[in-house]
Amino acid sequence: MKRHIFGLAALVLAVSAGGASAQTMSFADAGALIAKSCGASIERFCARDDIGTGKVASCLQGHQKDVPQQCFAALQQAEAGTTARLAAQQATFGLCQDDARQFCKGVKPGDANLLDCLLASYKVVKGACRQGLTDAGWAN
Amino acid sequence: MTAFTRRAAGFALVAGLALGASFGFVDRAGAQSPMSSAEITKQLSEVTEFDPSLTAQVLQGMAQRAVQANQPLPLDQSEIAKRLAKLAQIDVQIQFALNSAVIRPQSYAALGSIADAMHHPILWNYRFLVVGNTDTTGTRAVNLALSQKRAEAIKEALVNLGKVDPARLDAVGLGQEALEVPSKPTDPINRRVEIFTIGTMKAMPKPLQ
Repeated sequence: MKRHIFGLAALVLAVSAGGASAQTMSFADAGALIAKSCGASIERFCARDDIGTGKVASCLQGHQKDVPQQCFAALQQAEAGTTARLAAQQATFGLCQDDARQFCKGVKPGDANLLDCLLASYKVVKGACRQGLTDAGWAN
Repeated sequence: MTAFTRRAAGFALVAGLALGASFGFVDRAGAQSPMSSAEITKQLSEVTEFDPSLTAQVLQGMAQRAVQANQPLPLDQSEIAKRLAKLAQIDVQIQFALNSAVIRPQSYAALGSIADAMHHPILWNYRFLVVGNTDTTGTRAVNLALSQKRAEAIKEALVNLGKVDPARLDAVGLGQEALEVPSKPTDPINRRVEIFTIGTMKAMPKPLQ
């Protein structure tokens, strides 16, 4: 029974990780995910390594047999999700160019004025622009 | 700022004050839920005016001289403090391992929220100063050095994990030289990280034709 639960958990994880490759993730969610999946291992094996240096990831690799597999999956998911998020943020204003010209003429860029205008026009902007705003994490 | 963001910022300020009031009665580190990236974005975009002479180097020099001379640095009453207080800022609790600059996993999400805020278009063009502070537990010189390492660790994490452009971030530790509550110098409430919006990267772009 235990084995089945483990198998099921692995399957759920694989499916959700697969789904996440198409989805973008905030850095806050990525941080929470890593803390939840790897926090105990980090505090146990890598307590002297600073997360900002990249040493934590290599330390976890070094203790691979003692670290739960879901931690490595979480690290991958966080990396893929935040990379996709940044790419979406870079692409969004390009995707929204026509909409911006149509709905936001004369808006002074900077200080998120253009974003405010696009969000105010959220219901009428084209699908690609709307999807871009969502993927960038700015649509709510 | 647009009317929308001004209203939002006003709301965030009220929420921040309410939160601040409760910290006097509860253990801050334990009871606090981390600020959302939306709240951070709003507070850091509350730009009033910049003060180009307030740099990490200037602040660090002041703190170092005060510690070397063993003189008090009443930042809380000083001109510098008044000038810092005018900047858009947030106060965050980041949990570090004891006597070290290692950020504990329970603070990863809070760090992520700061990175998210810095990637929001309203803050894209701005630069920030990360300031580390301790309480008066331990020795003054050690506290100064530790807070500097911790401020740098936060910058490093925001850059390497949060993918924030390093040119947008400065880090300085002020040790116990800028207590939040000078009347309670050993209160953990003084152990905090402040992030200030200190300037712009470049001129704002031109309007759409």
